Order: sequence, then C-alpha cells, then structure tokens
Amino acid sequence: MSSFAVQPALDQSAQVKTRLSALLVEDNQLDAELELRALRQGGFEVKARIVQDEAAFRKALKEPPEIVLADYNLPSWTGVEALHILRQEGLDIPLILVSGALGDVTAVECIKRGVTDYVLKDGLARLPQAIRRALEEQHERQLLRQAEQGLARKAAELARSNADLEQFAYVASHDLQEPLRMVATYTQLLAERYRGRLDENADKFIAYACEGAERMQVLIRDLLAFSRVGRKENESASVDCNAVMREVVQGLAVAIQQSKATVTFGSLPEVWGDRTQMAQVFQNLVGNALKFHSAQAPTVSVQAEENEKEWTFSVADNGIGIAPEHAEQIFTVFHRLHARTEYPGNGIGLAICKKIVERYGGRIWVESEAGAGATFRFTLPRESRPAAEA
Amino acid sequence: MKSTFHLLIVDDNPADVSLVEEALKVSAYAGSCQSVGDGVEAMAYLSRRGSFAQAPKPDLVLLDLNLPKRDGLTVLAAMKAGPEWRRIPVVIFSTSRLGRDVARSYELGANCYVSKPGNLSEYFAAVKAIEQFWFGPVTLPPQGEEQ
Repeated sequence: MSSFAVQPALDQSAQVKTRLSALLVEDNQLDAELELRALRQGGFEVKARIVQDEAAFRKALKEPPEIVLADYNLPSWTGVEALHILRQEGLDIPLILVSGALGDVTAVECIKRGVTDYVLKDGLARLPQAIRRALEEQHERQLLRQAEQGLARKAAELARSNADLEQFAYVASHDLQEPLRMVATYTQLLAERYRGRLDENADKFIAYACEGAERMQVLIRDLLAFSRVGRKENESASVDCNAVMREVVQGLAVAIQQSKATVTFGSLPEVWGDRTQMAQVFQNLVGNALKFHSAQAPTVSVQAEENEKEWTFSVADNGIGIAPEHAEQIFTVFHRLHARTEYPGNGIGLAICKKIVERYGGRIWVESEAGAGATFRFTLPRESRPAAEA
Repeated sequence: MKSTFHLLIVDDNPADVSLVEEALKVSAYAGSCQSVGDGVEAMAYLSRRGSFAQAPKPDLVLLDLNLPKRDGLTVLAAMKAGPEWRRIPVVIFSTSRLGRDVARSYELGANCYVSKPGNLSEYFAAVKAIEQFWFGPVTLPPQGEEQ
C-alpha cells in the first residue's frame, strides 16, 4: 500500500519529506542520478532501485514500488513495454516516462496506452510534481475501486437476503396452508352442523371465523404465487405475445361479455421469457382494466412500441383511473385502493406483474389520473436472454 | 360379495382422520374404518404385527403422503411390492399438488390420486366420490390368499 500523503502548498524544500519507493528503468547511470536528485530536491525521501532490462524489471516487481520512472529508449526494450508488464502483473503502479526526446505524437500515443505522464530529461524539475499528481490520481483510483467493491459486496448481500426472504415467504406460506385448512374446514363444519342450534351471536361469530379463514387461504395462495415468480419452475423461451393475448382474451371472455367491453391489440412482438408468466402479466393488466371500469363500457387497447433496446408495451383503458399519488404504491404486495366490497381482489396482481417484468429486466409503471382512464406501460428487452436469468 | 367393507386411513393428522370419518357419515358409508398415524404403523397394520394381529385386511387404503417415520410413497412402494398387499387399491389423499408427487405416486402403482381440498364442501365431496366409487360400481379384488 502507498504511504503517500498529499502535501499541497508546502515549500518543496521543507523539512517534511515524503517517503517514496521508486523503480527506475534506466541504462544511463548519470541520468538516474539526475532524476533522483530532482526527486530529493522536490521533497521526496527516495528509496530507489535501478534496473536496465526486462528480467530485472520483472524481478524487482516482486516488491512493488510506488512509482516507475522509465526511459523511453532502452537498448533492448522500451518504457512502454514496461507498462505492459505492469498490466500483466495486475499492478496499478503509475509509470512516468523520462526521456531525452519524445515527440508530441509519441507522447500522446504513450499516454493513450496508459502511461501516466512523461517528463523530458532537460525538464526534470517538473518530475516531483508529476509524481505527486500521479500518486494522487492512483489514490483516487484506489478509493473508487474500494467503493466499487463495497457496492458489489452490498449488491451481493442484498441479493442473498432477497433470496432468503423469498424462501421464507415460500416456506411460511406453504406450511401455513396445512393448519389453516384445519381451521377453515372445521369452522365450516361448525357452521354447517350448528347453524341455528346455538344462539344468533354464535352463528354470526362462526360466520366471521369462516370468512376470515377463507380470505386467509386466498391470501396465502396469492403470496405463494407471488413468491413463486422468482423460482425457476419453467424454462424461458421465445414467446409470441400475439398468441398470448389471444389466449388471455379467450380466458377473460366471460368478464368481457359481462362488462360489454372491447379489447383490442395491435401487432405484438416476440419476447424472451416464461410463457405462463408473460400471460399472467397481460391477464392481470387486462383483467384490471375490465374490473376498474367507469360508467361507460370498458375499452382496452394493448400495443407495443419498438425502441432501441427494448419493447414498450401499453395497456390503456377508459376506466376510473388512478390518482398520480398512488402510482407507485399500487405495485406493492397487498396494496389496495378500494374496499373489498367495491372491487374484489387482494392487491397481488400488479405486484406479480412488477416482479415478472423486473425478472426479465424490464420496468413497469402507470400513467393516469383519477377518472381519466389508465395506461399501464412495461418494457421488456428485445429478444435476448437477460443476464440475470442465467 | 362382501357385505361390509373395511377402509384403512393412513394419516398423521387426527383432525384429517376425523374429517374423513365425518365425510363418510355424510356419504352414508356402511362399512368399517380404522386409522393409523404413520408409515411404520401402516406396515405393522398390513403385516398384522403386534397390536394389529387381529386387524382385518383392508379393501381400500386412503394414504396420505406426508407421514412421520416412513413417508407415504415408501408405504405405497412396499405395498405394491408385497404379494399379499399389491391387489389392495390405494387412493393417495394428500395436500400436495406437486407434479412430481402425483407422477411418482402413479409410477409406484397408486390407483388414484386425490388432492385434499381446502374447504369443507369440496372435502366432503371428494371423500364421498371416493367412497361411492370404490364401494359402489367397482368390483374389488377377492379377499382370499394369493392364487
């Protein structure tokens, strides 16, 4: 690790010296001396090693220096090759070319290749400053790398805890079903056997218990469905959304007929995903459009638009709409905007849509105002296997 | 023709056993029935070991899958491998709806697979359907020893 400390605005000849371990790639003893002198004058307490050829350079790297100062023209190789070796070894050590003469074009080329800086031999006074800047930049790179690593670690932790949570939801809801089945069936048996044989209150109480148990069964079933979205049960494949929509319309035929709705869809693309889950997204969105209709007969239009990297699907209706302040919450599990008596449901449909769409690398949102219909949009990548799925 | 049928229920949940018995009453089942609570007990019953020495041979077995000690599929496999039991029809009666449980059951020779419904009326209807089918139009295997 670098023990380098930034010392801005310090008199260069001040007594506080910066320790520096430097590796000089230099075949000219005199030039090496001059460089070292420039460093000492520039406020460095230098511990230097000098090498001339590639083998010695490689060997010296076993104990990595803080900086490499390389002559551009060496008898058997060049300073740029030294840079190449540094990269090979995975060492992020700044390399400054120190050269007798280096044309502007060559200099630019070297910097492009990753040389940190270059200093002419007749301008060595600039060397300490160049080194300070190089070390500063390296320090910043390190901080950035640490930050990136920290972020990656956090992301991995988050993914793990998400997976844990999902597993928990699955196991919990699965194991809750059994005892709940007993509660439900036995309260129903009580209701059936003892209706009218206790008193009025007893009948009412038992009915409440039955309703509660039944609702909980539905909730658990929905929660299981939700937690299953992330579990790999079906293989992904290319899915023709036109075929999916035809099936969805068929499946919703009764609801469409009852509400006198018109459901249309344009030419839809093929996307990559689990067919059942894709169908669920369309089914839930179209189903909602039918359910939350206004006084007029519902019209639902499903379209797709091709963008650079993705498809944007839209499901537009002329229903009761959603106030913008609810636009985000409606996608969370069990979030409902209406009383169960007004519109039935558990508030799981959109949460499932969101989870499915995000699983395949897309986004989902709603554009709407209360009373003015709603347009749900979601994106899906264009026909490619998303990396997250592998 | 036998005049009374004998049903063996293999289920570790007494509430489920009781529910089946209630359903059988509703269905006006006239035969007898007995229950055991785990896979080991089920095998002891069928082998007439210990306290089951005098136990009648069942005409039908209602078998849960999720059992303590020895699970339902193991009991099923043992029954279908035993010359003295393999004719006995086995109805799997389980909460599991997993495809692999259903497939495995049939592979091992289950005679049918019925999922336990989550509400009373469907539960009663399922038990009634089983009872009325197997103890109705179905001709059960003869009770004598293996020919």
